[in-house]
Order: sequence, then C-alpha cells, then structure tokens
Amino acid sequence: MSNINIGNAPPDKVVLPFYATGAFVFWLLCLLLMADPGSLTQHHFNPHLLAIVHMAALGWGTMIIMGAAHQLLPVICERDLFNPVLASVSWYFLTAGIIFLAYAFWNMQTGWLMISGGVLVVLSALAYFINTAFTGSVFIHYSVVRLFIFSSAFWLLFTTLIGLLLAINLRYVFFTKNHLELLKLHAHAGLAGWFLQLIAGVSSKLVPMFLLGKSDKEKLLLYAFILQNAGLLLFLFDGYFFEMPALRMLVYAVLVAAGITCWLLYLYDAFRNRVRKKADIQMKQTFLSFLGIVIAILLVPFVLYANDSRWGIGYGAFLFMGWITGLILGKTFKTLPFIVWNRHYKNLSGKAKIPLPKNLYSEALVQWQFRIFIAAMVLLAAGILMNNTIIVQVASVFWLLLATIYLFNVMKVLLHKKTLLS
Amino acid sequence: MIVSLSQPYANEKIKAQQALYNVIDPELFVNVIDLGLIYEIDFDGENSITVTMTLSTPHCPMGEAITNGVRNALEIAFPGRTININLTFEPRWNFEMLTEEGRAQLGV
Repeated sequence: MSNINIGNAPPDKVVLPFYATGAFVFWLLCLLLMADPGSLTQHHFNPHLLAIVHMAALGWGTMIIMGAAHQLLPVICERDLFNPVLASVSWYFLTAGIIFLAYAFWNMQTGWLMISGGVLVVLSALAYFINTAFTGSVFIHYSVVRLFIFSSAFWLLFTTLIGLLLAINLRYVFFTKNHLELLKLHAHAGLAGWFLQLIAGVSSKLVPMFLLGKSDKEKLLLYAFILQNAGLLLFLFDGYFFEMPALRMLVYAVLVAAGITCWLLYLYDAFRNRVRKKADIQMKQTFLSFLGIVIAILLVPFVLYANDSRWGIGYGAFLFMGWITGLILGKTFKTLPFIVWNRHYKNLSGKAKIPLPKNLYSEALVQWQFRIFIAAMVLLAAGILMNNTIIVQVASVFWLLLATIYLFNVMKVLLHKKTLLS
Repeated sequence: MIVSLSQPYANEKIKAQQALYNVIDPELFVNVIDLGLIYEIDFDGENSITVTMTLSTPHCPMGEAITNGVRNALEIAFPGRTININLTFEPRWNFEMLTEEGRAQLGV
C-alpha cells in the first residue's frame, strides 16, 4: 500500500464505553423523569430537575457526542487521533463526575461532593480539549468544520469551568451577581458553544458524506461560525458585566439564530444536491431533530417576555430532548455499528460472507424508536406548556419505553459476536 | 474502470474485476467497481498485481475494511501473487465515477 495514511480510528475500547455509558444514563434519566414528573412543572431551579438536566447534558449528550467525536476527529482532521489514552481519561473523569454531580444535585448536597464532581468534569473537558487541539493542529486542508470542532471544545472547557465555579458558589458564596443569572450564562455557553458548534461542525461533514451530497456554499458555514460565536460572546459579556435587558438578549438570540439558519441552509443545499435520494430512518430522525432547535428558538420571545418558568422549561426540553436527543438517537446507528463491525470484520472483507453493519442491530426497533420519540416529545411539550403533571407523567412513560428500546439495541451492537454467513 | 480486450492481461483484468464485484462498501452497500473506487489494475508478469484505487472520502472510517477487502478478494482469485494497493486521492472521487449500475443501486 502507498504511504497515504487512511486514518486509523482510535481503538474501539476507547470509544465504546462512551456509548454504553451514555445509553445507560439516558435510560436512568428517563426513569428519574418518571419518578418525579412534577420537577418539570415547578420553577427550573429545583434539585431533581438540576440532577436530570446535568445527567442529560453530561451523562447523555456530552457522553455520546464526545465518544463519537473521538471517532470522527480523524475523519474530519484527516490524521490520527492525537492521544487515545487521553480519550479514555476523558471517559473516566466524565463518568465519575456525573455520578457525583447527579447524586449531589438530586439530594441538593452542596459542598465537597458537588465540587469534586465539577472538578472531574472539568478534567474530562480539559483532556478532550487537548486531544482536539493537537489532532487538529496540523492543517492539511483548511475547513470551517475544523474551526467548529476546535471552538466547541473550547466552549465545553469554558462551560465546565463556569459550572465548577457555580458549584463552589453554592457552598461558599463569592459571586456578587445573582446565581440564577450566572446559571443562564453557564447553560447557554454549553448549548450555543459546546453542543451547537460541535453538532454544526460534525453534521456539516457527515450529512453530505452519508447522503453523498455536496454543497459549494462553504461561505454559509463561515457566516454560521461567526454569527453563533458573536451572539454567544455578546450574551456572555453583557450578561456578566451589565444588567442585560430582555431586548438585548433577544438581539443576541437573533444573531445565534441567524448562525443556525446559515448552517441549516448549508445542510439543505447538500441535501438538495445529493446522489443518494432515499434517506434512511436514521437520517429522517436526524432531520426531525433539527425541528427541535427551530421550535426552541421560536420560544425565545416567550421565555424572555412571559413571566412564567414553563416557557423556559419548554425551551430546555426542546433543546435537550427534541434536538440533542433526537440527533443522538438517529446518529448512534450511523456510527456505533460501523465501529463494532470494523473490529470483527475488517480483515474478513472480501474473504468470507459476512454481515453488514446494518445487520448488527434491529432496524425494526430503530423504526419504533423513531415513532415513540415523536409521541414522547409531543406529550412532553404539551405537558410542560400546559403545566399538566399528568401529561408529563404519560410522556415520561413513553420516554422510558424509548430509552429501553434504545439501550437494548445499543447493547445488541456492543455484545455482537463474530458470525460468518453461510 | 474499463477493460479493453486488446490490452495486455485483459483476461486477468476481467477476472480481477469479477473478484472485486464481491467487495462491498459496508455503508453504501455497493461494490467497489460500481462505486468507481478502482482506478487501475496492473499485472506485473506472474508475480504481482498493483491496484490503484481511492476512497469516497480521505480518512474514510471504513477505509481499512475496503482496502483489506480488495486485497483479500484478489488473493483468492490469484493465489500466490503479491497484491499491492496504491491508494490515491488524485483525482478525488466524485459522483461522476459511479457506473450506471452503481447509480441504480443507490437509487439515483
């Protein structure tokens, strides 16, 4: 073979624990949601909701996305992952951190347990940041996608540091500013910095790759990058140093929304110019998840001007459960089966009759996952916006069913044994 | 890759092409010939075969599986010969390289 490096993916033992842990935490948080549906109809600063949100953001969203990012960094940066050991370090720290934080928030135990959890999560984010920075440090081809990946890793580190300071502040008050105002900044650094920019970057590479689509409108991605970061930076700066009125918040939200629009227009252009016309169920779920972020943005004026916390909780639900969860549910079966398939079959290809990656999981369950996701999200949104605990309770049953199906299918892939077809 | 019957080793090249129809891209479910990933197959006497090929994207996560598949399929079709894989991204793969059959399989 020529000396072109086709990119050795990191060892699967590095990446697979992220998927296993994420799937389990998703199931657990759905169970907790069912145990206390009332937490979604109270003020958002309540112990159980804080525990559930941190499990969703760190144990579920960050866990799976970070695992997938370690696998995809070589594809995006066109070179091997800088240090697979650091990737494992990220997983150990993140897993330990989320256990500490979830327990501490659920029981509202401020102090060393919560602070230790915060320190562990910061260390995990730091290890990920180092891996990202060094993997992407050699520019073979300039791309905006790489800018997104780098900035999102920075925002993750920033978000977790602010989170740690807030955990300390709950026990040893040192911020002069209102804790709830700071919490808003912390949450949006995570949402618009870490999640949005990583998803924007990775999807701009993967969606065209999966659909065999292309777009020559890379400028849209550059505008998206600038607008999303400008909106977020102005929001954080104004929010920390000044008393930010609702109108200015709305202006910053419009900037970020314009950035999101540019990114979605780029994806739409790649979708329009695709070779592969038939979108599979995973891609459909991915596209549906984008509706979650669009609805969340449309709710922003209500969050800002209606003096009612249900709009804020609804906004968060559309982002975490509609957008991030929807996206992960779709993308899991576009990445995980390939990682496991590679381990078992990459040396047997062309030599024996072997299963395809799609044979490693149940496609029927992915179909059901898609349908139940729609029902669960509609019920959850209705329950929150109508402030009706019974509807939230019914929704939580659907979420638990969805999480159970997802966990089963993920474990089916992870526990797959090598099989030769006759 | 089009094989002309008048070129040297035409029969061997057709046999190699037949073997490579069995190597499937695990993501797209289309074989490497119809995807247009194989640029050239060169026979060097009785000893070795050099395949010049590409991937649909650099650092394709399935890259190793696909190149292994090409090597394995040719080792079975031509036992005893050394198989060399010359991976290139010049020219870069694009949709125009799909065969009619490849387009049909992708639903284009």
